[in-house]
Amino acid sequence: MKMLFACLIACLALGTLGAQSPAELLAQIDERRTIPDMSFDLRITSFESGKQKDYNVLRGCVKITDTGNDVLVYFSEPASVKGRKMLMDGRVVYYLFPRTRNPIRLSPLQVLLGETSNGDVARTGFAKDYDVTAFSEAVREGAACYLFKLDAKADRKDSTYAKVDLWVEKASLRPLYAEFSATDGKLLKKAAYEDYRTVEGKDVPFALDISDGDDPQKHTTMTYLLIGRKSVPETAFRRDYLEAWTPELPR
Amino acid sequence: MSRILLASILAAFMLASARPAKGLEVEADLDLFPTASLAQEGGGPSMQVEATRIVAQSAISHKQALGEGLTLSGTAWLDADSLPSESPLAVPATKLDLNARLLEFGLEWEALPGALILDLGKKIIHPSSGFFKTPLNMLSRPAVGDVPSSTAAAVGKWEEGWVGADVTWLAGNLTVANFLSPRLAWSQEADQILQYISQQQGEYDDLLRLGLRVGEADLRLLALTSAESIGGADPNMHFQTGAGLDVNLGDSLTIRAEASAADSTERLQVVDATQLTSATQSVAWAPRALLGFTWAEGGSKDLSVMAEYYYNGLGFVGSDYDRLMQYSGNSLAAAGRSVAGGLGVADVLDQYGSFEAARHYGFARVAGDIEDDLAAQLWVVANLQDLSCMTGAVLTFTRDAWAISGAIVDAWGGPDTEEGLSPLLWRLDLELSLFF
Repeated sequence: MKMLFACLIACLALGTLGAQSPAELLAQIDERRTIPDMSFDLRITSFESGKQKDYNVLRGCVKITDTGNDVLVYFSEPASVKGRKMLMDGRVVYYLFPRTRNPIRLSPLQVLLGETSNGDVARTGFAKDYDVTAFSEAVREGAACYLFKLDAKADRKDSTYAKVDLWVEKASLRPLYAEFSATDGKLLKKAAYEDYRTVEGKDVPFALDISDGDDPQKHTTMTYLLIGRKSVPETAFRRDYLEAWTPELPR
Repeated sequence: MSRILLASILAAFMLASARPAKGLEVEADLDLFPTASLAQEGGGPSMQVEATRIVAQSAISHKQALGEGLTLSGTAWLDADSLPSESPLAVPATKLDLNARLLEFGLEWEALPGALILDLGKKIIHPSSGFFKTPLNMLSRPAVGDVPSSTAAAVGKWEEGWVGADVTWLAGNLTVANFLSPRLAWSQEADQILQYISQQQGEYDDLLRLGLRVGEADLRLLALTSAESIGGADPNMHFQTGAGLDVNLGDSLTIRAEASAADSTERLQVVDATQLTSATQSVAWAPRALLGFTWAEGGSKDLSVMAEYYYNGLGFVGSDYDRLMQYSGNSLAAAGRSVAGGLGVADVLDQYGSFEAARHYGFARVAGDIEDDLAAQLWVVANLQDLSCMTGAVLTFTRDAWAISGAIVDAWGGPDTEEGLSPLLWRLDLELSLFF
């Protein structure tokens, strides 16, 4: 359960570019990989020194809002956490245990159990949250890439990652790799976007590998098992609906 | 010994029988409670009595979609208890005390998806955010099985809901919900069967809840109306009202504040502590309030600190409190100390420290991971007036499908304090949980 939030929405943020400004190109990258009203089954596995530490299988759905992504999640596996539900409503998170009726309000740092900042990695929509401060071309693992240097926007200065370096393949406009840093430049997380597939007309990375900036032995993989589209009313992403919410198989 | 053996065999059977079936969520717990308490029998001297209680519990939940927006859900609970009184002086008539209950069972219909939800059946309603006290849980019952908590949580792991009809309307940042429950009463003969399904409900209740999201804060307002009969000459109606607020401060702090009050609540009042006379007193609009926070460090150790202050308007202070303690002490001396309750202080203080006698209480907990699978917590509940307290230390080792935890709970206090008058000396809790 440790990486959960971490990775959780990471797959929400993946996307594309032309003859636009770097900011417009970044927005296009987001748009190309973002499925509105996405539903999903997702497996999150954390490793340390090559050994699996923890895993979770989640079923959930996403609503993209003006202020960020709202996410409903149901814990399917392992059995010890089965039945738990979670709502990420902006920066507020609610957690509901099986057979209880009052969602517990958590702080962002309570949510980021274990691999502290994965959740922020996950929920980062690049164009929405960051300004492009530098833009260049680079080669990464043999692929010609655009390299975006991003700084958190003024109203998102409280986000865990103040800076992002993002490598996007020129030919496909697929994000390949990102480095997330603190204000002082300290590298916090590295993320590799892999296994792109076309779903609902979008180019979605089905796998994301996030590693710790300090300790490369610690890393987390997020793999989509299923992706679908399900329109859920905005009011469903409310604390008082969490109890009633019934997760559905993505289709 | 045969009682323990029998409980163990039955527990093993219950755990084994809780096999997974498609869509079922099953948890089975086996608890061992070695306990030491002070006891006194037949007016003799107090003595330390040690006993071990074994409790096997299993709960099975299922939620079944019947159609678009229509779901049927329920939770059934079963337990076998070797020593429900926790006292070797009060053993059950049979080798094992068996209990079963339908904790929840209901039909839910989303008449308007995400906006209007109708719920009919038995359900639990817990609006409170408090951990060790819950002023806003106006309709709640004690944990089924009367299994003592090793974490000081006010809400038991398994609790029985209330039968009624609930309507929830969500619009924008506003939620309006109303729960109406009928009076359910039946004869003692019928109760011999029905007790395994449901408890009786002594009154008609109507609980109105309003929820409002203001920025990043959650505001709740509640009003409960209760009546023993409807349409009778003396409806004897009672009212409770309450409000709560939850908010985050920064990335690591959540704050909760809530308060409630009832128009009249009965409590026991000491008339003469020496003569051991008491009377029932009705108190109007005595408030109960809770203010608390949880701070999370957010590192790999999941370190968190929780603290709560509880104001109990029904409690006593000053000379009234002293008289209550004196009364309790004298009751013990006169009637003898019974681990099972029912004698001595039990009529005032309840056994094992109910933390309801005084007006000011505090709770604090520190929790964190020692290893990836091993979590620890230390907690204390304190009577802030006489500084008696109860402490607990819990270690929990969790794997994918099972968990094992060990806890020790101690009561501390001088002879004229709430916890000092409790018969509890210490209690261990060794719990094995299986998840399917």
